[in-house]
Amino acid sequence: MSETEKFTQDILTNARGKAETIIREAESETQRASDEAKTAISREVDGIIRGARAEADAIKRRQISEARHRSKIREQQEKDKIMQDVLDKSKKRTFELARDESRYVPFLTNLIEKGVRELGDKTATIHLNERDLRNVSSLEQKLNRNTSGQVKLEWSKEPIQSSGGAIISTPDGKVRIINTLDQRFEALESKLLIEARKSLFGE
Amino acid sequence: MSGIETVKVIVDAERQAAKIVEDAMTQAATIRKKIDSLIQEQRQQMLADAKKEAAAIAARAEEEGRLEAESLEKESAQMLQDLVAKASAKKDATVEKLVTIVMQVEK
Repeated sequence: MSETEKFTQDILTNARGKAETIIREAESETQRASDEAKTAISREVDGIIRGARAEADAIKRRQISEARHRSKIREQQEKDKIMQDVLDKSKKRTFELARDESRYVPFLTNLIEKGVRELGDKTATIHLNERDLRNVSSLEQKLNRNTSGQVKLEWSKEPIQSSGGAIISTPDGKVRIINTLDQRFEALESKLLIEARKSLFGE
Repeated sequence: MSGIETVKVIVDAERQAAKIVEDAMTQAATIRKKIDSLIQEQRQQMLADAKKEAAAIAARAEEEGRLEAESLEKESAQMLQDLVAKASAKKDATVEKLVTIVMQVEK
């Protein structure tokens, strides 16, 4: 091989080497880029899946919490219904008892005595409903016995609109103690509700 | 070989060498270009798959939640039924208790 041929061979060999290096570099560069891209995409994918899982958990939690809430509302409605029924029946039963003299008269006597004591006046006017006004004489006897006649009792002839009980007032009507059955229900409502809840639901 | 011929041979060789390098550079550019579009394709595919999986996860959760909520409501409906039955059985006694409270006058 002549010197010239050797020289040209060297030129070509160098060029081929350089070409191989260029391609190898491009290949390794792209490999690196591909690896980096895969890592980045995987991170992106993980983010999407993580987000979806979090959202899925929230969806489930919301559905379950809404179901619990609906159940709670239904339970409360049922309890309210039962409580209302019991209160209505108690009222009805109490008004029925107002017709049973053996239980009602001692109760009414106590109510009037309490009202008279609260009024603290020497004379008390007692207001009753039409039915109770018919029993004034027997009530008067009992009351006089219990109060030893310390307070002068006057009986209003004007009947009050009430299912039972009494209104006790000063003769001028300026101070009034309202002890009617309806008022008692109103005044005792929160206590009755607590007792009913305890008795019915153990709360 | 004359001097001119020798120079010509060398110039040819240089030209060939330059061509080899140029071809290699073109090939390298093609490789780089190809990987860019390959990465884009791969990204789009993986993201599309991920979105599909995300939708499936959400749908599964929705269904699981629905079933769990349904079973919970069924269970609490049963409990409520028991509670109503027990409370109903205590109604009369409760009424009597409340009547006693109303009829009891604090001295």
